[in-house]
Amino acid sequence: MLRRLVGAGAALALALPLGLSVAAPPTASAAEGDLKVALTSDIDTLNPFLAILASSTGILRFQYESLVQYGKDNEVVPGLASEWETSPDGKTWTFTIPEDRKWSDGEPLTAEDAVWTFDAVKGQEALQQANGGLVTNVAEVAAPDPQTLVMTLNSAQAANPGAELPIVPEHVWADVDAATYANDTDTVGSGPFVITSYAQSQSVELKANPNFWRGAPSISGITYVSYKSTDAAVQALRTSEVDVVSGLTPAQFQSLDGQDGITTNSGAGRRYQAMAINPGAVDAEGKPLGNGNPALKDKVLREAIMTAIDNQTLLDRVLQGLGKPGQTEVPSVYPAYFGFAPGATPRTFDPAKANQMLDDAGYTKGADGMRTDKSGKPLELRLMGRNSDPTHQQLAEFIQPWLRDIGIAVEVSMVTPNQVNDDSTLGKYDLYFTGWGIGPDPDFQLSINRCDSRPNADGSGSTSESNWCDPAFDELYDAQHAELDPTKRAELVKQAFTMIHEAAVNDVLYYADSLEAYRSDKFTNFTQQPQEGGVITGQNGYWGFYDATPVGAGDAVSGNPAGGTPGWVLPVGIAVVVVAAVGVVLGLRRRSTSAADRE
Amino acid sequence: MTLLGADEALVAEQEVPAGSTLGRYLLLKAGGALVSLAMVVVLGFFSFRILPGSDPAINLTRGRRVSAEEVDRLRVQFGLDQPLPVQFLRYVRDLFTGDLGYSYVYNQPVSGLILDRLGPTLLLTGTAAVISIVLGLWLGQRAAWKRGSWFDKVQTGLALTFWSVPTFWLGLLLLLLFAGGLRLFPAGGMMSPGTDATGIALVLDVAWHMVLPVLTIVAVVYAQYLMVMRASVLEEMTSDYLTTARAKGLTEDRVRTRHAVPNALLPTVTLVFLTLGGLVGGAVTVETVFSWPGLGYLTFQGLSAPDLPLLQGTFVVFSSIVIVMNFVADLVYRVLDPRLKAA
Repeated sequence: MLRRLVGAGAALALALPLGLSVAAPPTASAAEGDLKVALTSDIDTLNPFLAILASSTGILRFQYESLVQYGKDNEVVPGLASEWETSPDGKTWTFTIPEDRKWSDGEPLTAEDAVWTFDAVKGQEALQQANGGLVTNVAEVAAPDPQTLVMTLNSAQAANPGAELPIVPEHVWADVDAATYANDTDTVGSGPFVITSYAQSQSVELKANPNFWRGAPSISGITYVSYKSTDAAVQALRTSEVDVVSGLTPAQFQSLDGQDGITTNSGAGRRYQAMAINPGAVDAEGKPLGNGNPALKDKVLREAIMTAIDNQTLLDRVLQGLGKPGQTEVPSVYPAYFGFAPGATPRTFDPAKANQMLDDAGYTKGADGMRTDKSGKPLELRLMGRNSDPTHQQLAEFIQPWLRDIGIAVEVSMVTPNQVNDDSTLGKYDLYFTGWGIGPDPDFQLSINRCDSRPNADGSGSTSESNWCDPAFDELYDAQHAELDPTKRAELVKQAFTMIHEAAVNDVLYYADSLEAYRSDKFTNFTQQPQEGGVITGQNGYWGFYDATPVGAGDAVSGNPAGGTPGWVLPVGIAVVVVAAVGVVLGLRRRSTSAADRE
Repeated sequence: MTLLGADEALVAEQEVPAGSTLGRYLLLKAGGALVSLAMVVVLGFFSFRILPGSDPAINLTRGRRVSAEEVDRLRVQFGLDQPLPVQFLRYVRDLFTGDLGYSYVYNQPVSGLILDRLGPTLLLTGTAAVISIVLGLWLGQRAAWKRGSWFDKVQTGLALTFWSVPTFWLGLLLLLLFAGGLRLFPAGGMMSPGTDATGIALVLDVAWHMVLPVLTIVAVVYAQYLMVMRASVLEEMTSDYLTTARAKGLTEDRVRTRHAVPNALLPTVTLVFLTLGGLVGGAVTVETVFSWPGLGYLTFQGLSAPDLPLLQGTFVVFSSIVIVMNFVADLVYRVLDPRLKAA
């Protein structure tokens, strides 16, 4: 009986992979020149109207051009449109699409495609999931001729309305249900690479687009490979299973630094890391929201807290120095909008001054060195962070003693990301760690600080960054929103961000570098964005991989170049199969002979 | 990973009411399974609705500029504007048509998502289960026959050590050692990225990717089979029929393989089916460590969103597998054990 079980087991073990291999997704042949990129978060969908996750939109950036593109230094450069013109009132934008633009399948690409795309998003609610916000100010889009696109806006805006929205081919999308179309095999695009196949949670393959208007890329394609953790992805980079890994922790980054055949890149990131201070949250109707400590309504207390926090130490200790110290909500990667307005001064770390400020404001210190608020209650604050982000715990471990030094008790709690989202939206916090990724245009980041961005009482509605409101800020927002002169606009933007800083509602701690590594023994010529000290992956554009070139073919052949099955697997595998088969046969034979001598 | 102890398996065996006919027995067991399934459906629906931050309309639109009307529209789209009982009735109605709802995150029907991942999970856990069972049972009867020997001590000691090791830790260790350090096996995935292999080459590629995750599961799981088999053989060893067999002049080997082991297998059969169900759910950690594109990782994604229909779907599927396996265990035991049939 046992032998029969062994035999059946062996047979099953052999049959299972055989049976399932039939169901395995067909994968197109990957040329040796394909760049393999580790993907450590899942993809929601490759439909550009629905894709929200950064992993998906990052891939779609290679597939679809917008009317205009962000350049190698985040400046606005031609995309599908070679030229654009703004009417003096800022409400009419005219784009010129050259005659030689083609889709990857060879069909001509015209203004009609752009009109179809804009109208699709504007006209169908189901298609607004990803980019609805980009068209709210667009009143009408028309194509007087195939090479001209005229966009009429509801109100003047400085940010180019042709940026960001991926333009899709009408001749493909008009024939399908755009709201459910998977767009994951044999797709048609206009960017440097086009998606050819997709196996969910496994890989996405893109091939070079020979019709890309800037010229076909030097590499034959990109294969994104799923890893469930950056730890696994780092191992895969070491074994050459992948060529590019991003999203590394400082520890992972340092472990790869200096390894043979691997080059690391610490690129200026586009996120800011901050600690928000609840200034007394209210909802959209002006009613109090949440349970923030009322003492924090006092700006002096908030300023004292910010003065007692040492950004440079946080940067050096938590990020191992891999980043830039924080100022306003615009990271240093965008120099046009980075920094304070003229005349404004950054707060410097000064616990003595913070103590003095609190003494002067009437927060009395008890015998134990801890303060009470103005009503005589102990000054105790809650600090909330995400348990999914180890840096939050580390930040808290520095901030807690710093605030104790100025007489403020802090209770730290690390909770799930969703809990942080919910509680922060509903104003149920005193202090919490927050941060946003910022695009090249600061308009959105400013908009979520407007008074009318405050949420409804149940947390729905608009997103407010700090639940802060100042009518003077709203005026600055409106002014920069419509200012077409880039220099003047940059001044207004800096003024607005400086205002948030001075209100002491959001302490920007640092801008973490984006930590990446790649196999420099196999690929070279990656373009950083910005070119000086910027990132390769996660760009506002397709430059990082577009210029990449394979290192001479001779160098790449050594070892296990494609990360595929190594040579020893086939003979060993066949041997295992043969041995198992012999075992099954023997097992069955012994069973049949034993029946004869059964008692 | 949920593992059922041997004594739990024995408890299951004692629940059989004496004197019942096969039909009544079947009906009883099937009824029990159905009640359990119904409980799972109810629990699956309501428990995920009391999760903090489980309003998908708000979660999905967070960080983007949306009006209250847009959020309301999403709620209508997801059917969340209806009262809870109505939502529940719709959910149950859809279940009967195999419709597990629509994933908010993946923009796809949940049933399709689960079906896509079921294959890789079954391949991984199935292979691991077969190897664990064969290895555990074989080592178990060997150890029992030579109880007290070095072989016995080493095997049981080793098995129990592996059993107490956290699965993800063992997985990470194997990953660092055999993938990162020695570079013998891939760091993750089910097949080489962008492979154009077909036929035997593809099977070998998949097998090559399976080695580390299967090894991890087997190391942690085989101990329970070993221990149950060992205990079971030890019990048989005092039986009179073995003395009879020996008296007939059969070799010791023959006495063991032809007489003791077949009888000792009975209690382990139940255990096998009971643990098979748990194994599917238990693959979550291993799949996550080795980037295996199975149900485990899907659940993980559902939790981080959170994606209610997806979570409900995986919960119902995982639970159903366990319930069905328990039911099968009852049936198989009834068929195999002549004492129950006679009763």
